[in-house]
Amino acid sequence: MTKQEQLNIINDAIKQTKINLKPLGFNLIFWSMVIISMSLFHYFFPKIVQYSYYSALIYWVSIPLLGMIYTTYYNIKSGIKIGYETQLDRVIRIIWAVFGLAWIFTVGISLLYNVNPVQDILFLLGIVLIMTGLIIKFHNITIGGIGLLIFTVYTYYNPGLNLLLVNVIGISFGMLIPGLSLYFQKENE
Amino acid sequence: MNKEIEKLLFNPIRLKTISFLMTVETCNFKALLEITDSTKGNLSIQLKKLNEAGLIKIEKYFQKSYPTTDYSITKKGKSSFEEFYKQLISYKKVK
Repeated sequence: MTKQEQLNIINDAIKQTKINLKPLGFNLIFWSMVIISMSLFHYFFPKIVQYSYYSALIYWVSIPLLGMIYTTYYNIKSGIKIGYETQLDRVIRIIWAVFGLAWIFTVGISLLYNVNPVQDILFLLGIVLIMTGLIIKFHNITIGGIGLLIFTVYTYYNPGLNLLLVNVIGISFGMLIPGLSLYFQKENE
Repeated sequence: MNKEIEKLLFNPIRLKTISFLMTVETCNFKALLEITDSTKGNLSIQLKKLNEAGLIKIEKYFQKSYPTTDYSITKKGKSSFEEFYKQLISYKKVK
């Protein structure tokens, strides 16, 4: 084997590393659909969700926790199918895991102080979306995150807004549409 | 450069494996089979040699009760590959 052949082998092997962004797109779409469906159900059927003092809490904690279990299972499965994890995949995984922990923490704090966590979660989500978009260099996600951040700040100055509808609008434009565009884009190399 | 390492990376399957592992955090056996385009038996032997030389790390564990093996490059593997690559590039420049 000549030196040039060795160099060709190295270049070919490096070129085979593809960054698969489809699982991230799926995660964004899945969570958007869950949150939008839950918010709309809560909005149209408040008597069912707020049946007792704890029913709304159980509704907003148990379903996302089930969603977390499902997405963890999905991500492990897709990771096995792809067969490898790049440094970029690892960074994205860590960022969203930290967001998951922050979500649990925010919900816990809001329970203690009896405040609605929607705006805090949307603000955090906006920041994480911007970070994700910048890291993977996908502008639609960055723009979605910026939009969500501006929208959340707007809601802080307009306290009369219905936070369930705020959730629906913010998640639709900030996460669902960018998630769909990421999922259906051509594979990156 | 260590002659042992140079000799080790002279094999195309071992060179492909090390080059690919340089770009990823971890990788499973199935993906390495596709990347190296080799047979299971041959790849296992080459991976064992790379592991014995301390260039790669092999982690075996159970996932959903199935035995799984992950491969990653070690610090020694990274520095050896970088040195090897520098040599190849310098050779190309001289030529």
